[in-house]
Amino acid sequence: MIEIKNVSFRHENADEGSIHDITLTIPDGQCVLLCGESGSGKTTITRLINGLIPHYYEGEMHGEVIANGLNVTKSELYETAKKVGSVFQNPRSQFFCVDTTSELAFGCENMGLPEADILSRIDKVTAEMNIKSLMGQNIFELSGGEKQKIACGSVSALQPEIMVLDEPTSNLDLNAIEELKETVQKWKQSGKTIIIAEHRLYWLREICDRVICTQNGRIEFDMTMEEFKSLSDEERNAYGLRPLFAENAVQTVGNFSGTDILTLNNFSFSYDKKEVLNIPKLEIPVGSIVAVTGHNGAGKSTFSRCLCGLEKRFKGTVLLNGETLKSRQLLKKCYMVMQDVNHQLFCETVEEEVQLGMNEENAGKVQKILEELDLDGFAQRHPMSLSGGQKQRTAIASAMLADKEILLFDEPTSGLDFKHMEQTAKLLSSLKNKKTVFVATHDPELISRCCTHILRIENGVIDEFTSR
Amino acid sequence: MGRSILQASVTDRGLVLDPRTKILLLLNMAIFVLGSAGGGRVQALTPLFCAMPAVLLLSAKKWRTAITYIILFSVSYVGYAVFGDITTGFLHYFLLSCCGILARFLPSIMMGGYLVSTTTVSEFTAAMLKMKLSEKIIIPLSVMFRFFPTVFDEAASINAAMKMRGIHLGGKNAGKILEYRIVPLMTCCVKIGEELSAAALTRGLGGEVRRTNICNIGFKVQDFIFITVSIVPYVLWILDIVGI
Amino acid sequence: MNNDNKIKGKDLINIGIYAAIYCVIMTCIAMLGYIPIMMPLLAVFCPLIGGIPMMLFYTKTKKFGMITIMSVIIGIYLWVTGMGIYPAIFGVVFGFLADLVAKSGGYKSFAKTVLSYGVMCLMIFGNYLPLFIDREGYFASREKFGQEYVDTLGGIMQNWMIPVLIIASFVFGVLGALLGKALLKKHFIKAGIV
Repeated sequence: MIEIKNVSFRHENADEGSIHDITLTIPDGQCVLLCGESGSGKTTITRLINGLIPHYYEGEMHGEVIANGLNVTKSELYETAKKVGSVFQNPRSQFFCVDTTSELAFGCENMGLPEADILSRIDKVTAEMNIKSLMGQNIFELSGGEKQKIACGSVSALQPEIMVLDEPTSNLDLNAIEELKETVQKWKQSGKTIIIAEHRLYWLREICDRVICTQNGRIEFDMTMEEFKSLSDEERNAYGLRPLFAENAVQTVGNFSGTDILTLNNFSFSYDKKEVLNIPKLEIPVGSIVAVTGHNGAGKSTFSRCLCGLEKRFKGTVLLNGETLKSRQLLKKCYMVMQDVNHQLFCETVEEEVQLGMNEENAGKVQKILEELDLDGFAQRHPMSLSGGQKQRTAIASAMLADKEILLFDEPTSGLDFKHMEQTAKLLSSLKNKKTVFVATHDPELISRCCTHILRIENGVIDEFTSR
Repeated sequence: MGRSILQASVTDRGLVLDPRTKILLLLNMAIFVLGSAGGGRVQALTPLFCAMPAVLLLSAKKWRTAITYIILFSVSYVGYAVFGDITTGFLHYFLLSCCGILARFLPSIMMGGYLVSTTTVSEFTAAMLKMKLSEKIIIPLSVMFRFFPTVFDEAASINAAMKMRGIHLGGKNAGKILEYRIVPLMTCCVKIGEELSAAALTRGLGGEVRRTNICNIGFKVQDFIFITVSIVPYVLWILDIVGI
Repeated sequence: MNNDNKIKGKDLINIGIYAAIYCVIMTCIAMLGYIPIMMPLLAVFCPLIGGIPMMLFYTKTKKFGMITIMSVIIGIYLWVTGMGIYPAIFGVVFGFLADLVAKSGGYKSFAKTVLSYGVMCLMIFGNYLPLFIDREGYFASREKFGQEYVDTLGGIMQNWMIPVLIIASFVFGVLGALLGKALLKKHFIKAGIV
């Protein structure tokens, strides 16, 4: 049983993500979905349970948390680790080792378990989770779903009674989510208590027994899954939640009036003698919004990097407005908004940021573009201090002022709640007919809201290119 | 995303050496090739040392790196001998120092590359455990070892972003170039570092018990061969010092 | 809140992360040392630029021993990358002293932090030590760089450079700390990573 007793918490240096006087009891074996807008406090609750608050993220805390008899608030993290296992969202940062076997052993090694013990635990976990075939491999060469399985396995090996998952599907494609679902179902059958903080809800409707929604650091509602299912989509949207049924997400996209054509020629690229991309010719209407989909590792990011002119050995060309563009010119015409926007913010204020690398002729347009993108109130703010969406818009503003014709987005909505996903969709829609936009994404809800075409890449070749 | 070249491969890795052997070899490289210690007889052996990274890279099936190294090293080595005679003046100085410096640093860089690219984090940790180091050193060192590729990946992404924005060295941005590079690099690394810490801590890293390790490291025949070879320069050095 | 002064897992991981960032940046700068005139200037650039990651690290430092471990690790890194054993020894000594200085300011005082980093930077002199202890041997070993290199470097690196280098390391350490502090204020605090 998990008991959260009158807990309030405020981060040391930030005012967001704080919670106020939360009291919650979760009985053994229950599976709880924590939902709510970004910054509403759901991640904070998961951190209270796994002890990262107050032991890693420091701040002002009142109240206490007891997990299966252990006072998490007072115990050291390595004590809590025996009872509470945690899975996170980012595959880049949640692994400590390079190979899968060591990763599964990592937690047990930290506990100082004898070698034979660890090996038998690994055997047990790999058998249960059906991941024997993944052993002895390089984690960073696995697909997104496989990575998340290793993360789950590594936690399983410690045999905790409570599992905490913090937005585990943010970086996963649809198949991978199905795989994760199976794992969570197995945990549930074996009687573990599971807490999942999530934005994507549909995969959890058969798994979770209880839904807790947070807002502004307080519990907004706490109901059974049955009750939650009976809410209408409008009611859920009002709480800032994504739809519970993926199929409801289909929407029509407004008119698209482009007739000019952008031609990609000879888009092929090999890495270490292995062909990772091979698109001889592709015609795309100028001004369209193309969703680039496909499994993790299918060649989407290579495609984006080639199109941006970032791969030096790339020989393909783009035909735009009768002009043939090679790698070097592409660098001038294309701009990628990266998944981690922090990589591309350099200056001290938003105003300076958008003017860096600007085409001098556009000096007069700065104010107008900032207004169009709802950034005029933030011109003097530090770009890094903005929210995720505002950072994205800043990056777009700088691309507009640099006269970029083609914009690429890498997973712009991963980890976004309903409201922010919808904002991003509106923003992308507003670029329609002005710029040609490519969006690499796994998010069907985003695609249904703004994309005019879908380009599916599998194994480096075009699997499908259709207009919607 | 392509795999970073600094990341160790775990399948199909060819000849495996104990990490301790690799560290010893790297140290030797640093002392005798880079540091030119050991007196005349040892220095006569340097070409042999310089061949070692090539052999090791080949043994680890890093074909492309090995061949690049062999070509670069031979060119600079031969170049040093040839240019010394046929050029004069500034060109002479320039070519000589280029070749000389390359020939001197390349072997150590390759050896370092070999160490990092063929050793997994947990093998490295296991080696340090066997060397009976304190946890207070082992944990930071293994985190550092784990984090190096991340820092390079982040730097590469920032570099790509700068290219797309057309920010180059020089021009009116010259004074800012450091800020543009270091600030986002630090911000991104620190954020990823936070996530890495959280994931490691919730799996009990830093507990009071001594860590165990399931990694199967240990000295094998090949290790003894390389260790024996590594001892030779020390013996010659001692002989040199006592004057034999 | 945790107020006990034992170094924990969290602190050790932090040391590893900042050491990695610091070492990567330093390695990039040290490449400049190929140019003879730049060699003594490393005592300027390394402390100056190293101040940026280090000041961030100091904000995470609240316990005695962290700075010592940090400089030991940097020393080991320098040792393995071919700078000889002296930087490692200097790392232990000056890291410990720097830790004492920072502790005397409770790991909060602005002045003591800046001073502490200045002291830590004295370890850089360890890199130059072989050049002064065994001058002949050092230059003999660098003959391959060309006579010009030897002459230029030998011309600069006279014995009177010893105090200059030591003072430069310290002074630019202090300036680097101030630069780091300035960037903290200008960027990192606003970016929410402190």
